Amino acid sequence: MGLAALKVSPARTDDPPAPAPGHPGTAAAVRRRRWRGGALSLGMLAPAVLVYTVMTIVPVVVALYLSLTDWNGFSDATFIGTENYLRLFEDPGISRAWLVTFVVAAFGSVGMLGLGLAYALQLKERSRTNSFFRALAYYPHVISALILGFLWSAILGTNGAINTTLERFGVGPVGFLFDETLAVITLVGVIVWAGFGFNVVLFVAALQTVPHELIEAAQIDGASRRQINRRIVIPMISPVVTVAMVLNLVGLIKVYDIVVSLTDGGPAGSTETIAYVILSRSFASTDVGFATAQAVALMVVSAVLSVLVAALRNRQDQAAAN
Amino acid sequence: MNTRRRFLTAGVLAGAVLTASACGGGDDDVAGGEGGDTTLRMIVNITPNLTEQFWNELFDKYEAENPGITVELELTGTIEAEAKLQQDLAAGDPPDIAQHVIPNPETAELFVDLSDEDWAPDTPLYDDYAIDGGHYVVGVGEQIQSLVFYNKAAFEEAGVDATQLQTIAQFEDAMRKLQAAGYQPLQSAGQWVTGAQFTMLADAGVLTEEPDWVIERKNGETSFADSGYLRYFELYESWLKEGFLTQSALGLEYPDGQAAFLAGDSAMYIMGSYFVPAADEAGLSDQIGVFPVPADGTYPPGQFGNMAQPYTVVEASDAKEEAIDLVEWLVTDDEAIEIQLAADGNLRKGFSYDVSSLGEGVQAVLDASPMVIVKQGERQPVHGYAEELNTQVQSLFTGSSAGDVAANLDSWWDSQR
Repeated sequence: MGLAALKVSPARTDDPPAPAPGHPGTAAAVRRRRWRGGALSLGMLAPAVLVYTVMTIVPVVVALYLSLTDWNGFSDATFIGTENYLRLFEDPGISRAWLVTFVVAAFGSVGMLGLGLAYALQLKERSRTNSFFRALAYYPHVISALILGFLWSAILGTNGAINTTLERFGVGPVGFLFDETLAVITLVGVIVWAGFGFNVVLFVAALQTVPHELIEAAQIDGASRRQINRRIVIPMISPVVTVAMVLNLVGLIKVYDIVVSLTDGGPAGSTETIAYVILSRSFASTDVGFATAQAVALMVVSAVLSVLVAALRNRQDQAAAN
Repeated sequence: MNTRRRFLTAGVLAGAVLTASACGGGDDDVAGGEGGDTTLRMIVNITPNLTEQFWNELFDKYEAENPGITVELELTGTIEAEAKLQQDLAAGDPPDIAQHVIPNPETAELFVDLSDEDWAPDTPLYDDYAIDGGHYVVGVGEQIQSLVFYNKAAFEEAGVDATQLQTIAQFEDAMRKLQAAGYQPLQSAGQWVTGAQFTMLADAGVLTEEPDWVIERKNGETSFADSGYLRYFELYESWLKEGFLTQSALGLEYPDGQAAFLAGDSAMYIMGSYFVPAADEAGLSDQIGVFPVPADGTYPPGQFGNMAQPYTVVEASDAKEEAIDLVEWLVTDDEAIEIQLAADGNLRKGFSYDVSSLGEGVQAVLDASPMVIVKQGERQPVHGYAEELNTQVQSLFTGSSAGDVAANLDSWWDSQR
């Protein structure tokens, strides 16, 4: 059959008739329907977008601008370019605070993660005893970090419960809070104690999604408990591990409250984190432009670390899958 | 469609209302509000002496005398009063009065200039705190801080005569004797106490001899490393080596250090006059004596001092007149003054309250002092100095050398805008 014959095929008379103008099937009606749908979606999204813009995007943009000024919190701000950012590298106190922040974030994150995972692996089965110990682990997480800091300060201070007890045995005092190195270790320890319970909750939830069949198959094949955990369980919950790691890191990179109440940045500034410096030093000194530059740097570092951790975990997961 | 449009409109309006209410401040403190009532918000500093209960009881009296006025405390939490004020201003929710905030040339514009108030010039240290001729802060009394409180029993046991401790050498000799008698010679503590005690000691020595030292440091004409301060850093370094001061003191909070001295664990405690109420409260005033800090130059040296309970009226307040009235009452009403002086062991010429023997001792030190050293106005150090000094003095406790500490302070000072 030729092309011309096809064009005049009587079959065309069976095609549905062209819709009348205004009919729901016309192109104009479809466009109108799409537009209405779009408008409705926009309307539904608008409150969330408005809140997000007002609460997040605008403050970030304003912070970026303020970090390039000499604003003192109340007078007119003068644009000074990158001077505040250069000061970040000139002030030895700031460099030390960054170092302390990284140490606290790195060891604190790993500590919370490791302890949380070990604890969760022990308590993954459902039982009343396990529920009690899970609640016990989570308990510090529900108490204000400020209160926890004051509590541990009363326990670990020179005249605290531990040193007073040690003194009775002719030992000490131990410099939990007055030795520069030990004070950082104490700070990390208290942070890990206070925060690992949250990791336990995450991991217990993740562990309960690991199929029992896999574990039983491994047991039948003679795998030890350690091998099962290492080769099956942990790889299967690795996305949750990544999330926990990122949450720990982001949380600890801006740690402030527990520092204030436990060590107040001392001794000799050895436990001053960057968030502590921003809030207790720079803002208090009406050096808001500089404080904002530090806050922006903190935000960037936090974002970069989160992306890095997630990327590294992804690469590990892909390598394991291959 | 109408329903949908109405729904969308309602959403937008709700958003606008939310935004407006988030941006707008409350008008609780607007003068002449409903029924003519006014609520005055005041930032107050809570200390072991000036408790929340103390402030509430004080303002109950004012409220009773001034119907229609309510004073609301604004506590600072873990931050300084100045930072709290800044937070409030940034949030568009300024308080009416701030206690314990000292204006500087940069922040003076935040406060009402009280120069035109006829009662203001009679308040203590009025001119010492002036900024370019303006008077933005007034206080209730004076605090002096270059004081050494001592345990009388420990001195007797060690055979030390407090009246003979005038030079640094005599002071060191006394510390050796006290140490030999089994006492910790000097009580210190962590937090702000470490740097403050150093200031109480060193400022009396250095600034009595060179009252313009801070001005010269600002002009780059002197430095910590090339002035009398180095000598005091070296003294601290050697006292730490000899055990007159101990590193473990850094693990004590301010009240703990005070309690350790009151408990008789240590023989001497360098502190301001505000220690007296704590000793009175503990019922130990008669067992404690006081003398001025030792100095190698003029003796007795000037007393490092400051305005006690300073008040500022916030320029952005909606109830400035009422706020000024309250501040006037706080610093001029006889009863209010005496209550405040007694609570914090402060002093004011022409006013007296029931003081213990220790309080009388402090008054005697002030009477004999050649000057009160006030580091305010043009003699105010750069912002953040007290905190940095505290960090550096603590680093002496953790092993830094006196030379390093002086150099660090100089480089920090020079790096400040």
